[in-house]
Amino acid sequence: MRREIPLLITFLVGIIFLFGPITTGNIPVLEMSFRQIVSTYLSPWTTIITAFAIGLASINLLRLHGSYVARKRSGWINSAALVISMLFFTVARIIRELRPTDPEVVAFYGRIFDNIAAPLSGAMFAILAFYIASASYRAFRARSLEASVLLVAAIIVMLGAAPVGALIWDYFPSLQRWLLAVPNTAGQRAIIIGAAIGGFATSLRILFGLERGYLGGD
Amino acid sequence: MELVPGNIFGVWAMVVVSICVLLVVYLTKEGKFLVKLRRIAGLEAIEEAIGRATEMGKPVHFSPGIADVTGDTAPQTFAALEVLTYVTTLSAKYNAELIVTIRMPNVFPLAQEVVRQGYLAAGKPDLFQEETVRFLSSEQFAYIAGVLGIFTRQRVAANLMIGAFWAESLLMAEGGSQVGAIQVAGTANMHQIPFFVAACDYTLIGEEIYAGGAYLSQDKVRLGSIASQDYVKFALMASILVGAVMMTAGNDWLRVLFVK
Repeated sequence: MRREIPLLITFLVGIIFLFGPITTGNIPVLEMSFRQIVSTYLSPWTTIITAFAIGLASINLLRLHGSYVARKRSGWINSAALVISMLFFTVARIIRELRPTDPEVVAFYGRIFDNIAAPLSGAMFAILAFYIASASYRAFRARSLEASVLLVAAIIVMLGAAPVGALIWDYFPSLQRWLLAVPNTAGQRAIIIGAAIGGFATSLRILFGLERGYLGGD
Repeated sequence: MELVPGNIFGVWAMVVVSICVLLVVYLTKEGKFLVKLRRIAGLEAIEEAIGRATEMGKPVHFSPGIADVTGDTAPQTFAALEVLTYVTTLSAKYNAELIVTIRMPNVFPLAQEVVRQGYLAAGKPDLFQEETVRFLSSEQFAYIAGVLGIFTRQRVAANLMIGAFWAESLLMAEGGSQVGAIQVAGTANMHQIPFFVAACDYTLIGEEIYAGGAYLSQDKVRLGSIASQDYVKFALMASILVGAVMMTAGNDWLRVLFVK
């Protein structure tokens, strides 16, 4: 039963979520639509399960880094910073929930995000610019036929998109448009269609209990 | 109860495809249909990567992507968990240290269970530690900052990234590359595939990640499901061809049917 009950729940909930957005009207015996079942019964359960999952995950994080701090393991200062920030944000959010109309509390909570969380996320995102350069350098080294084709295509696309390209050769912009619109789009669509069918077959296997890896194996 | 207009063809197509998938799965299970998958270099490289990490005495990192278990990217997460089962088994076999980093809280208990059961099945339950599966943060860039920190501090020798990735894909792949890790990545998120191709040693493109579980386990049911995808693909290719010819001839019957 340890396997059968989760599989049965997966099947029933999967069917309800599947038919929710694509059907109207009530299910004959239940006198309720799929959409109503989702909003009345399933959505609150989703919230409850997610809340428990967040709790579990947070406990894992705190225990792990708490033990690093307690044992003064190498780099424990980072763990201490994480635990302190986590507790600080938790307390800030609880105060924000308890006093939602207090302008000072709302402004303070907003400042935490505007001045700490947003710049940190922005900094991480900005690193992408440098990483794109280093990854492109490695990818475009003409070590094989495929890499050489990639290099030539990339040069044409870059020159076609840059104003200087048209000055060098009139046909760069139109060649760039053709490369993006024909071979690139064809390749992308082939991958998208394959991935969509693969995703559908995987969902079907999960729905019918044929795929059980996520339950910890067969 | 009736179908919302615009979904009629989709629902019937879903029924037909489902029957096709289940039929091929049944025939494969009964041994009436033999399925042989082509060689997927990326999946075969996983053992090489874990073996290398073992020789170097450094950890193996696995990320199941940053998607949840709900929504249209959920199949990628489930496909990643299938691969994680195999990765855990190999890590147990070679006694390699495994680090699984998680972004979505809902994925965390699933990944923990997969790894715990994997070690248990391999007869090495003591290898499962609390720090084997780590929840880092549900914030996308905080998660990747955490992953890069682990790469730098622990100098991972193998970095396996299978699942749904977005802007963090290149950050993770380049981070892995900078510490010299052998990298196997795979996603069905179209716009991240080029980043993985550029930065990783092996890349699973689109549908290949869904074949991972079947390919690595050689389970008949899963193999049958993978084979059925090819039949559906042939049918789609035929409909694209017929549709293109019909539209060129000025007949939009197929197009109208598809949007019903």
